[in-house]
Amino acid sequence: MTTADGAVLGTTQIAGSAPRNRAFNVVLLAEGFTAAQQADFNNACTAFTTAFFATPPYDDLLPAINVFRVNVSSTDTGADDPVATGGTGATARTYFDATFGANGIRRLLVCNSSTALTLAAAQVPEFSVVLVVVNSTVYGGSGGSVGTYSLASGATEIAIHEMGHTAYGLADEYPYYAGGNETGHDHHPSGEPSEPNVTTNGDRATLKWNWAVAAATALPTMSNPNCGVVDSRPSTVPAGTVGLFEGAHYYHCGGYRPEYDCKMRNLGVPFCRVCRQVIWNRIGPLTALVARARAPISVIARFPEHLDVFAIADNGRTMSNWWSPASGWAGWFQLMGGVSSPGGTGSPVTAIHRYAGHIDLFTVGTDSRVYSAWWDGNGGWRPWFAIGTLVCRPGSTVTALSRYDDHIDLFTTASDGRVMSTWWDVRSGWASWFPLQGGVAANGASVTAVARYPHHLDVFTVGTDNRVYSIWWDERSGWSNWFALDGQLARSDATVSVVSRHRDQLDLFTTDTTGRIVSISWNVNSSWGSWFQVAGGVASPGSPVTAIARYSGHLDLFVIGTDRRIYSTWWHEGGNWAPWFVVSGGVGQAGGQVAAISRVAEHIDLFTVGSDGNVWSTWWHGGSGWAGWFQLGVS
Amino acid sequence: MPSRKMPAPTGLRPPPAPVSAMRFIFEYDGDAVRLLSQQPVDMAITGAELGQSLAVGYFVDARDADNRTLARVHARGLSGGTAEVFPETPGEPIVHVKVEQPKGAFTVVLPVPAGAARVALVQVLPQADAHTAAAGAAAPLRGTDIASFPLHRQP
Repeated sequence: MTTADGAVLGTTQIAGSAPRNRAFNVVLLAEGFTAAQQADFNNACTAFTTAFFATPPYDDLLPAINVFRVNVSSTDTGADDPVATGGTGATARTYFDATFGANGIRRLLVCNSSTALTLAAAQVPEFSVVLVVVNSTVYGGSGGSVGTYSLASGATEIAIHEMGHTAYGLADEYPYYAGGNETGHDHHPSGEPSEPNVTTNGDRATLKWNWAVAAATALPTMSNPNCGVVDSRPSTVPAGTVGLFEGAHYYHCGGYRPEYDCKMRNLGVPFCRVCRQVIWNRIGPLTALVARARAPISVIARFPEHLDVFAIADNGRTMSNWWSPASGWAGWFQLMGGVSSPGGTGSPVTAIHRYAGHIDLFTVGTDSRVYSAWWDGNGGWRPWFAIGTLVCRPGSTVTALSRYDDHIDLFTTASDGRVMSTWWDVRSGWASWFPLQGGVAANGASVTAVARYPHHLDVFTVGTDNRVYSIWWDERSGWSNWFALDGQLARSDATVSVVSRHRDQLDLFTTDTTGRIVSISWNVNSSWGSWFQVAGGVASPGSPVTAIARYSGHLDLFVIGTDRRIYSTWWHEGGNWAPWFVVSGGVGQAGGQVAAISRVAEHIDLFTVGSDGNVWSTWWHGGSGWAGWFQLGVS
Repeated sequence: MPSRKMPAPTGLRPPPAPVSAMRFIFEYDGDAVRLLSQQPVDMAITGAELGQSLAVGYFVDARDADNRTLARVHARGLSGGTAEVFPETPGEPIVHVKVEQPKGAFTVVLPVPAGAARVALVQVLPQADAHTAAAGAAAPLRGTDIASFPLHRQP
């Protein structure tokens, strides 16, 4: 039986309206339907789509999903059903050569996957998954790169389970290999499985789904008392509890699943919280990110040809996107289930890269505690964990610095406004939070810091009297006392942006009580200068001034103006500040921020939340000038 | 912003063009792998597909002429020598059976940057001593090329 046993009749999009090249495209192929039975296939596709779209989290992702049916006629009805495996002995001449009884098991229904993939690629080149619908009421199905299922009641569940493997790399969560009576599956081998929904790790701090585990949930949540058999007791906790349930990944003990039940464990039940998140992070990045309007965006370049961007969704989810020239933009995905504090402008995710293969993230969570997570090239993202017990002002920013590879310094504000710091060192781990010499920041003010060289820190904030304050630390002398940079009052919620163009120079930028953009500089030879307004600029109330130094004699500033347009100016050594100009006609959010980075000296990348609430980007290149703004999603 | 004249941005350019991508369909029969087809496709590839960090599993690489990896995506849906058999009655166990001669096909959509000359199927596994790793620890991993094929770009 070959493709000569049928004909392709046509392709119809039956659900979804997402652009094909930015969508999760599901293709359903007809198998064993004669030309006269195509209406039955159409009905089966409708039934599948109804069941699929009602399955969380797909019900939340419909704007990014399309479903297509490819009508294919076969000479005969159904599929082969060998007598040797309990079948009827039918042989059917069909396009995809489907047969029950594969490997001696009648329920194992397979087809020619090469034919299925080739036809799907010809009909819907942008397909994401392919499912073959077999015209038989005998129960059966199989997985792999092509999901195959029959019209028997409940068989669509096979297709949705198999998509979990094929499209998202989810593991099987059931605790046996062959039904529970097998040998050699008492204990899971040591070592952590790479799949996101099974683990051998019982440590709450490093558990890969710890973001979903309530503090009150015991770990392990259920343990198997007899590893010689599958634990068949009912759940001891309410449905939906995320924890560690022993028995997973084909083993009775030693392997854990996130919830008592999940579609990756049993057909006919919902996906667990962790699997839903994995599916969301595969399909969600195909859609635009609606961002929290004023929460600052962070961007790092671990090396010149790579960008990692961090933003906050309008519902507080901590989100990231990344770019490389080889693959373009990866799309927005949620970082380990994180949700940031909604106070003020909303806590941003701040990021540092101590070296090219590593990222450290920091944010303030909804419980106002400071959280960190990291990514490493060998192992990927690790879960969020709390740093100490400090309770911050809601919406605080955590400013992070890495003075050298094995060290991190953090600065933020406590709930009472005190400026707080801690550090991490590879040898000693995280220190306790400590107040920084009694300094108290104005409500809404962030704490900024710069390391002019590895053994020195300069820290800035706006005090409760609206004056700009600074303090410094040197390895030889420790912390100084706070001192005011007088002659200028700042907005109480202003950010003091600081740039060190070289080790003997500081340039500060902030906004005064009327929104004027003001600056002051310090040089080791001449100490602090006087405040001045930068080229007559006035910022949108609350909008911070972003400053970068592409090289030691040059500064670029970016801000959102009072008309919400995105403005820039620059200064070059020996000259004056250039007049402010609008960057490529861009319009942002009132009080919003523009993130800027210079990956190489003659290149700038900008990011902001546009007037439509989506994240936008543009870039400047020395040879060609400013590009147009583009919505930042997936390339 | 004050009513200053703004200088026209120099050389305003359009947004970035998407990175070109190709769909590859591979067929395998036991240990033998062959490339069934390769075709350009206009399709966004999300980070979930891209192999940004080293992990256990199968991957497909776009390689340059010097065999340097330019882009990598997960290859899913390969038979691991077993097949899942589903119960007719909900609640009954799903079971696995061994497949003596795994046979089938799988597909990936891979970014194909300028300079890509070959496409390679790679298997990443824990190194030989990785079974001693503690629970939750990241075991050292090593990738092995299973097969490699020349890239035929469309004109």
